[in-house]
Amino acid sequence: MITEQGVKDFLHAGGYIADDAISTAVFLALRMEKPILIEGPPGVGKTGLAKALSSALDFPLVRLQCYEGIDEGKALYDWEYGKQLLYTQLLRTQLDNYLSVSSDLREAVERLSAEESLFFSKNFLVQRPILRSFLSEKRSLLLIDEIDRSDDEFEALLLESLSEFQVSIPELGVIEAKRKPLVILTSNGTRMISDALRRRCLYLYIGYPELEREVSIIRAKFPDLCEVLARQMVEFLRKARDLNLRKPPSVSETLDWAQVLSILKATKLTPEVVANTVGVIAKHQTDLQKVTDLAIQELS
Amino acid sequence: MERIIADFVAALRENGIRVSPGESLDAVQALGLCGMEGRRSTRQLLRLTLVKNVNDIPVFNEVFNRFFSRFQFVAPDMNIPDLMNAAIIDMEGEFNYLDQLPGDDHDDDGPLIKLDSDINPEDLQELKSLTEIDPDDSDGNEIVVQMKGYRGKAKKAPRPTRRYTQNPLTIELNKSNSTPTGITFTEEEQIAMQDVVSRMMLRLRKDMKRMKNNQNRGKLHVIKTIQKNYRHDMIPFQVALRRKRREKPRLVVLCDVSFSVSHASRFMLLLLHTLHNQMLDVRSFIFNREIAEITEMLANMPVNDLMETIDKGDIIDLDENSSFGQVFLTFKKKYLENLRGRPAFIILGDARNNYDEANDWVLDEIREKARYMLWLTPEERDTWSRGDCLMETYGSYCDKVEVVKTVEGLSLVVEDLLRDIYADNAHPLDKKRLREAKAAETYDSKNYYTRGGCSEPAAFDPSGRSHW
Repeated sequence: MITEQGVKDFLHAGGYIADDAISTAVFLALRMEKPILIEGPPGVGKTGLAKALSSALDFPLVRLQCYEGIDEGKALYDWEYGKQLLYTQLLRTQLDNYLSVSSDLREAVERLSAEESLFFSKNFLVQRPILRSFLSEKRSLLLIDEIDRSDDEFEALLLESLSEFQVSIPELGVIEAKRKPLVILTSNGTRMISDALRRRCLYLYIGYPELEREVSIIRAKFPDLCEVLARQMVEFLRKARDLNLRKPPSVSETLDWAQVLSILKATKLTPEVVANTVGVIAKHQTDLQKVTDLAIQELS
Repeated sequence: MERIIADFVAALRENGIRVSPGESLDAVQALGLCGMEGRRSTRQLLRLTLVKNVNDIPVFNEVFNRFFSRFQFVAPDMNIPDLMNAAIIDMEGEFNYLDQLPGDDHDDDGPLIKLDSDINPEDLQELKSLTEIDPDDSDGNEIVVQMKGYRGKAKKAPRPTRRYTQNPLTIELNKSNSTPTGITFTEEEQIAMQDVVSRMMLRLRKDMKRMKNNQNRGKLHVIKTIQKNYRHDMIPFQVALRRKRREKPRLVVLCDVSFSVSHASRFMLLLLHTLHNQMLDVRSFIFNREIAEITEMLANMPVNDLMETIDKGDIIDLDENSSFGQVFLTFKKKYLENLRGRPAFIILGDARNNYDEANDWVLDEIREKARYMLWLTPEERDTWSRGDCLMETYGSYCDKVEVVKTVEGLSLVVEDLLRDIYADNAHPLDKKRLREAKAAETYDSKNYYTRGGCSEPAAFDPSGRSHW
């Protein structure tokens, strides 16, 4: 039986430093079998959480990247028309034989329709991510990434799958999940997600991490980077986040920066070091200037 | 425990957070799974299950603090006068006891009050005693009623629009009395504005989406059609059409920020700020005697900072008298050449030129470049020709002149304009539909903008430039 602390520990072992809110959410999602909707600025580890969980729990990761215009054919299932056509062509002689027994057209149609289910069977079904994760023998982790990029219609389509863990296929009926997957939805908040979807999920907001957590995130990824430098970096970045930048540096930028600094074998932050590596943390021209100014002001 | 959660959910709902019964069931289940060891973890559990929106989190924290500190607040042995005082303070809207409460994330891990299975009916009674003063106490009842009344009203954020619907003079007076900080916005104003805009967007989006789909219709895309119908043995069941390039409507806004119209321009700026990046390509300018572009700032700065910057006169000098003629001339020199597409123009100002040169011929040139020109003025029609007001002159160059005084009015006018722009690009089918819709629509002059002293709206017909 997994406990809350257990969740935190195995995430930690997988290289993901979770705070209490995250580990509680994961724990609840596992126990209550409810999806988690994660919102937050880009680069704070929303998708990273799903990846870390999948490797830590040994759940195969099934990822569905959303985009404008995604539909059930891409997310749930599709029929393999090509294969169906091919089979009818190849089986033509058998079909002829089979149908030649019948005396008139009516009987032929009846005989054929009795075998209809052959052509709409699981053989010809293409499993798209959601159905694939439902039918997986092992409990899987379904990551529906950047749900805010999809349309309203697609959201509505998800409702059935997420609350009942089933997929209705008109030709086959309702297919229920063999093992209910752990579902993680992420959103960058570019569009309001409908209340209907929110209601079916646990809601987790991941913001920028606290100082200590960010330091330990760096330490976990780059153990050879000295702690003093890590702390200095984090303190500097926290100030940079208050600068009203167009794209404030996120955790992913922190990690990139840590990597850059460890490659450069820097031991201390100086205005020069920041000026040389500023492209890693600021991604707009106006931001570059602001960050370098901050470095001169804070570090010299 | 279920009772307490239900009460807590009720408190959340009172404060405007929508919580469904399903979510409260989740909360109970979650608490059952994790237990309630500490205040901190309980807060997290409840937040995970009950709150589904970032913006609701601060409200949730506040309600949580208030709700789960009731025991400490109304101790059983507290005497009536204290209670009365507390109630009175409450009624005056000074929730100052809130200040003494622990902040949201600094919860100690101690036990969460007496909230547990061994809670008894008396405890529940006590829990309620914050909102309802002991029912046996005859003196208390009146206060209960009053308090409830107050609380009910306090739920809704004060509607800022009310204050600004009055005539400009009183608003100026009010403003100088109450808020010496100048033209920054309060939280409620921003929320109310977002509300207005998001409602507008919802209305627009439905129509726009359909139009966009039709707009994309073009000639047959042969290759795509073949690819698409491969599965049908090349019989073209599904047709793929070439997409037309989608045109984003462009908007250029000139906004007067001089003192005489500041109350209107601040809402215009806020509206622009909220509209920005939504579906439009907006270029915004502010002017007084000089003109300056603030498009970048609108996109990148928090609106209050921007307001302050403008207010301080850092962008343009606010002490000068506004001069529309001067502004138009500068605009022509500096910006008119590099305006892309055929933008729609919105000019917000009272057209009071301080007896400067009118330079109205520039408007004619702008008109040639513009798809549509709209002038918004906060003044009533009958003052348009009085004093230094050049509304009559300038108005003759515009497609439409509107009197706007409220945020709703402003958003309606802008919505109308957007519809018009979209309709311009629309597919013939949609155009027809829109025309029919417009014909069927009956304007209620009360809900819509008020048209000054003008009795027959026909005089403001967009094409009725001859009326001027």
